[in-house]
Amino acid sequence: MPDFLASNLDYLLWGNLAHGAPGGLLLSLLMSVAAGIVASALGLAGGTALVMGGPRLRSVLKTLVVLLRAIPVLMLIFWCYFLLPILFGIDIPGVLTVIAALAIINAAYLSQSVQSGIEAIGRGQWGAGLSLGLTRWQTLRHIVLPQALRIMLPSFINQWITLIKDTSLAYVVGVAEFTFVATQVNNREQVYPLQIFAFVGLGYLLVCGGLELLGRRWERRWRYGAA
Amino acid sequence: MTPPAWLGQNWLAPHYLIWLLKGALLAAWLALLVCIAATLLGTLLTALQASHQRAIRIPTDTFLSLHRNTPLMVQLLLWYFGVSGLLPDDAKQWLNTPHVLALPAGLSLAWPSFEFLAAFTALTLYSASFIAGELRAGLRGVSDNQRAAAQALGLTPWQTFRWIVLPQALVIVRRPLVGQYTAVIKNTSLTMTIGVAELSYSSRQVETETLLAFQAFAVATVLYLALVLLLQISGRKPVPAWRPAP
Amino acid sequence: MKQTLALAIALLGAATPVLADRLDDIKKAGVLRVAAFDSNPPFGFLDAQTRQISGLDVDVAKAIATKLNVKLELVPTNPANRIPLLVAGKADIVAANFTVTDERRKQVDFSIPYFASGQQFIAYKGKLQKPEQLAGLRVGVDKGTTQEIYLREKYPATTVVAYDDTPLAFTALRNGNVQAISQDGSKLIALLANAPDKQKYEVAPFTLSREYQAIGLPKGETRLTKLVNETLHELEKSGEAVKIYDHWFGPTTKAPLPRDFKIGDQG
Repeated sequence: MPDFLASNLDYLLWGNLAHGAPGGLLLSLLMSVAAGIVASALGLAGGTALVMGGPRLRSVLKTLVVLLRAIPVLMLIFWCYFLLPILFGIDIPGVLTVIAALAIINAAYLSQSVQSGIEAIGRGQWGAGLSLGLTRWQTLRHIVLPQALRIMLPSFINQWITLIKDTSLAYVVGVAEFTFVATQVNNREQVYPLQIFAFVGLGYLLVCGGLELLGRRWERRWRYGAA
Repeated sequence: MTPPAWLGQNWLAPHYLIWLLKGALLAAWLALLVCIAATLLGTLLTALQASHQRAIRIPTDTFLSLHRNTPLMVQLLLWYFGVSGLLPDDAKQWLNTPHVLALPAGLSLAWPSFEFLAAFTALTLYSASFIAGELRAGLRGVSDNQRAAAQALGLTPWQTFRWIVLPQALVIVRRPLVGQYTAVIKNTSLTMTIGVAELSYSSRQVETETLLAFQAFAVATVLYLALVLLLQISGRKPVPAWRPAP
Repeated sequence: MKQTLALAIALLGAATPVLADRLDDIKKAGVLRVAAFDSNPPFGFLDAQTRQISGLDVDVAKAIATKLNVKLELVPTNPANRIPLLVAGKADIVAANFTVTDERRKQVDFSIPYFASGQQFIAYKGKLQKPEQLAGLRVGVDKGTTQEIYLREKYPATTVVAYDDTPLAFTALRNGNVQAISQDGSKLIALLANAPDKQKYEVAPFTLSREYQAIGLPKGETRLTKLVNETLHELEKSGEAVKIYDHWFGPTTKAPLPRDFKIGDQG
């Protein structure tokens, strides 16, 4: 490993952890996990509501989803961080802003996947459930969702991967995640940007690639389980 | 009318708005080209991925995994700097000087800048990998029973695909696909890293000159919003979604 | 009802400029929050040993905090967010190699300059000898810098390509994407000293413009601005300013640069 990487490796991987300030790849992972859990829960709830909710709830949610999907993540983080304190005097730390913004935006994407998944199951399955005497919610819970989740799984994996990579946008509010600390190192060393960013790419590849493989395994297990 | 004090002393002067509009146009043009190219490539990748030959499937999977699991920014840098580092000096020089082809009637056709070419290449490969993922998910969403039923009726595999699987898969995949096109529009903003003068780039230029950061970024946000909404409205499907009767 | 009213007033209060003095707020909090670059050596960058932000700007910020008798808190910044940090009240002042321009003066107040530099170029040896040769060249700059503005305005025949930071701009030069890059002379000399293939390049033998760097402050904070100016004058008088300069640019550094500007030379 070249010198300029070796001497900065610990900083790139976990930042100033010894001083109680996790950073680098570790902070990216922590933020991803937090935002991923919140986004998945919100997305599942939102997607279900998009199918099962009343017309008013549905149209409110739809508008919200369309708007959230239309704003670049970088801008959302930027506005949450800088505008809230000006307009409302609320001062949220950078890490929390990033987690919240990523959770909300990914929930918007996921809720559409969930909606698509539920709708893809089709009329016959719903009819079967309802004619068995199940209520709409019971049909959803026991018949439709289990099948829909199988269809949705790749979308969820895709979205989680996107989320992990989007943590790199936290630079705009000065959060010391992986790409941010790499930029710091890059600018001190000055003349090795390609090598440093290739290393960054490798870091994300290991994390996201690992997640993708895990997803494939779940998918296969579910397919056999369902067959 | 003067803006509230925290916004600074001025609104943006008209010529800065024109910079931003030009940036938005370039972003839209780049996104359009990428969407077309990435859909074609994504379809091809999906077909290759479904191949029964390992010699085709494994390289395809590796390609997809590499592109989906690394940040777009890194890919942009590698295409722009990495590739230009490998090219012979003459080719590099040619790519990095402007070339304009004069057409009759005062029109001209400019060969795109090297920044634009690198951005187009990187964005297309990246987006195609995600589009392939959505297409594959769409095909999977069609239950195996449907295929079996179609073949029991005597349809050939191609007929089954064309008349049974594809129509259903397209229904599933339409929305995620619009989602991917949305992502393309937003991802064009990363190309400012390698010097493409798109919308984010021009918003930074305006900020540098005027220090009116909030105004510049607000106009940029609104323009991105407009581009995406334009896409989403044109991507509306004609048939209303089916949902269970209440 | 009362609470709603109080909330409404609070909201209004936050949305309109508060007349309270920033200087009092800083003293009350006991902390001076300074927005400083973390990726711009030698002005503000991450120290290899301490892993904290250090640099010439940081040394100046330290002096101001000492004068105020408060703790110094550094907020990492980049050109995209230094003004938002100041406006949103997440930083009190900006010490980030901040070049003074008349256009910028409309949005922030500047202290007296504490550093001066000139816009210079790195190009392949012998390729760029005088400003006239800039026409038709592709020149790389950093986003958010006044070099970008100056070239665009004064040299319309030059193609300006703005990269995210100096390492990327320099890589573009080494790769042949641009034929020259432009930055503060003070930065370029240090950059070249770092390059493994430095014999191929040179700093072009001319300087385009003289630029002055100062502390950026919120508009209308006259007491704070006055105190910052006093501190800067004292730094010069006590000889501390020379010490700071020599630490980063003195004869013992990797890229020595004679000091041709004293604090107070420019009002």
